[in-house]
Amino acid sequence: MDMQNELLAHLPRLRRYARALVNNRELADDLVQDTVERALGKLSLYAAGTDMRAWLFTIMHNVFANQMRKSSSRAVHLSVDDDEGGSLQDLAVSGNQLPSLEVRDLDYALQRLPLDQRQVVLLVGLEEMSYAEVALALEVPLGTVMSRLSRGRERLRALMSGASSAAAKLTVVK
Amino acid sequence: MNTHNTTLSDQELHAYVDGTLSEERRAEVDLLLEQDEALAARVGDYFSLNTMLRERYDRVLDEPLPQRLRAVVTTASTSKPGRAWGAAANWPQFASMAAMLVFGIGVGLSYNALHGSGSNDSSGFNTAQSTNVTAARYNEPITNFAQQAAIAHVVYAPDTQHPVEIGQDHEQDLVKWLSSRIGMDVHPPSLAASGYQLIGGRLLPGNEGPIAQFMYNDAHGERVTLCISRRHTQTKTTAFRLYQDGPVNVFYWVDGDIGYAVSGGIDHQQLLGLAHDIYAQLTMANPGGTSNDRSTMPVATD
Repeated sequence: MDMQNELLAHLPRLRRYARALVNNRELADDLVQDTVERALGKLSLYAAGTDMRAWLFTIMHNVFANQMRKSSSRAVHLSVDDDEGGSLQDLAVSGNQLPSLEVRDLDYALQRLPLDQRQVVLLVGLEEMSYAEVALALEVPLGTVMSRLSRGRERLRALMSGASSAAAKLTVVK
Repeated sequence: MNTHNTTLSDQELHAYVDGTLSEERRAEVDLLLEQDEALAARVGDYFSLNTMLRERYDRVLDEPLPQRLRAVVTTASTSKPGRAWGAAANWPQFASMAAMLVFGIGVGLSYNALHGSGSNDSSGFNTAQSTNVTAARYNEPITNFAQQAAIAHVVYAPDTQHPVEIGQDHEQDLVKWLSSRIGMDVHPPSLAASGYQLIGGRLLPGNEGPIAQFMYNDAHGERVTLCISRRHTQTKTTAFRLYQDGPVNVFYWVDGDIGYAVSGGIDHQQLLGLAHDIYAQLTMANPGGTSNDRSTMPVATD
């Protein structure tokens, strides 16, 4: 029961990451749901007292990788319907300084990052994981995390600056 | 301290942005950035990216957890041991939901405070309360009604054994009984078009008299409740308003002397769709009191 409460406590963060990763509310929650189901099935493998967040993100990563593999035959195009038309929740936080255009740019740019770069950029920038934690969660070497972070951030920066190609370097944006 | 501090590896640059550099090296990087405008711009962009990500997606943390996700975790306990065990195993969830409710009152309050005045005016409806903000708003009877509806939803909707007092198989008895207790005709609307079937209903105590609660569920077991109450005061038709209590969203409105509140753990837009449906069936068909504003439907106050 304690484990379940702990699991529940992690759900908002799993949802936040998933939402940024696939940028579609329903698909993101599907991913979280599959992750939680898998986690519950493997609960006996989880060593109590260890980092549940890292464990859950690893599972989510594997679930997502499987989903991508399965659907790789058909084109994966995710509609960017999330928050379109302004849900009430959005209005509730309309104190947000970002003009909506920029927000949409961010969604758009993120979806244009290669998946492995997007994951690292989000785990570090949004989830605030250490590089070592990211390496564990994604099951890749630390050096890979660093190079993906470096390329991902630079690419995202180029996309956000409106540069047509990721080759743009040192473009000064506001 | 001056052999390698003039060059900066890519790795260090990111570590600087993510705050994992040692304090000493950090100070060196600060100096480097002062001398290199392009580098500083790049680092500034990296910082902004992190900020933008948080500003864009942190709001997900505050969203009520979808019922289906909550259910995945909570039903895991009820399915393993026997029935009696299952009921007990639900307690932590109830406790946490109750805690969220108490906390959620604050959320509901600030939400209303934020949106009460300006947006009501723009919707073109007179709510008669649009001038009061903050604490006074919280004490409004209609907000209390929404809160009572939310609490009743949290208490009864997850109940597996007795979610309702009278089931839909005795709908006529239910309608007759509730109508006599409320003091007017109350009929449960049909939400079949949205995939929700009536389970039944019950009578609840309210600050302004008894409240009729109807409960519905869909094919996935998702439940919504509709509360109808007769009010002491007459009001013109109000706009739909959203009250948020932790995991529960409530859309509520008043028509004449009848208050309506539809509650559920589902998405706002879906719930708003149900509210429109219910309004069309009940308020239009059964206008309560002196309102002449019925020519137009209320819109969400946002």
